[in-house]
Amino acid sequence: MTKIIKHQWINIAYAIVSLLICLGLGYGISAITGGLPPSLYGMAILTLSLQLKWISAERISVFTTWAIRHMGVCFVPAGVGIIEHKQLIQQHGLAIVAITFVTTFLVLTFVGLIYQKHEEKSQTKPTNNDTSRHS
Amino acid sequence: MLIALTCILTILTYQSFVKLQAKLNKVWLNPMLLTILFLILGLYNFQIDYEFYDNNTEPLNFLLELSVVTLGFPLYQQLHAMKKQWKVIVLLLILASLLAIISSFALTWIIISQQEIAISLSLKSITTPIAIAITEQLNGNIAVTAFTIIIAGLFGAIWGIKWLTLLGVNSANAQGLAIGTASHALGTATISQISYQHAAYSSLALILSASVTAIIGPVLIPIMINLIGG
Repeated sequence: MTKIIKHQWINIAYAIVSLLICLGLGYGISAITGGLPPSLYGMAILTLSLQLKWISAERISVFTTWAIRHMGVCFVPAGVGIIEHKQLIQQHGLAIVAITFVTTFLVLTFVGLIYQKHEEKSQTKPTNNDTSRHS
Repeated sequence: MLIALTCILTILTYQSFVKLQAKLNKVWLNPMLLTILFLILGLYNFQIDYEFYDNNTEPLNFLLELSVVTLGFPLYQQLHAMKKQWKVIVLLLILASLLAIISSFALTWIIISQQEIAISLSLKSITTPIAIAITEQLNGNIAVTAFTIIIAGLFGAIWGIKWLTLLGVNSANAQGLAIGTASHALGTATISQISYQHAAYSSLALILSASVTAIIGPVLIPIMINLIGG
């Protein structure tokens, strides 16, 4: 039992170090090439490292699942930042929120409907029977 | 000490709202939104500057970056299934980014008629650092960009799934792509709790739409400014 717990802690440490390395590399690439922010480069590096088996997917799975489930709290400080735009909200707040509302739902609808249509279409094609779809 | 206290207070508030939502099972009781509102009221009530709160929650901002990296894991898990749809996904997200930019710019111009606000709103669907950089480059209003990015994220996070289900879009992949495109990392963080497929497709949309907008935004927005005679 204690051995399993110890093993879990080692995996958590392994996951944290792996994520930190990916983020660190993301910072490096972002500093050199610009473009995307470091965390998005870090995300792409993690995917690539898992694909190339540089990082073990099995060992980071428990920690990343936990982290993803709780990541919402990290957005709170940025969200509280709305408080900084009091004047702006008083001036154009309602119009800005309404436009954001309409256009956000427009994009949601466009992408959601078209991709689902595409999936339905490719599923009915006999040549496109992909077993991984059901995993 | 103060940093630890502010972070713990934020986390505890968030966790309390997570428990509340689990108990009452209502979508609109979004823990992120309620925590934000609760803390805004708290800051107002005790007359605390946002700058003070922001400085003392720096560790959470770092964790935010690290948690965005973790989204690479579900992305890896779905990579095999995604490969076959690669071309369609890229094409769809290019069109969706065009739609997001043009519709927001046009609607803002019609309703508010201020160029700098129109520039800012046309960038609200993507991740903050890129949107701010392009806003600066095109002389938009950074405060409006920052504000609307959060609002767009919250809309997708709170009502995205409900809206798509209402439209009959029940595919996890389609829901993920849609929310990642319209509501960036904030929407992605919320729906990633539902399934790995949601997480993967939303993360992919997050990266792709940010990249596409970073490329086409600085070209397309000046064209629209010219069109309106700015």
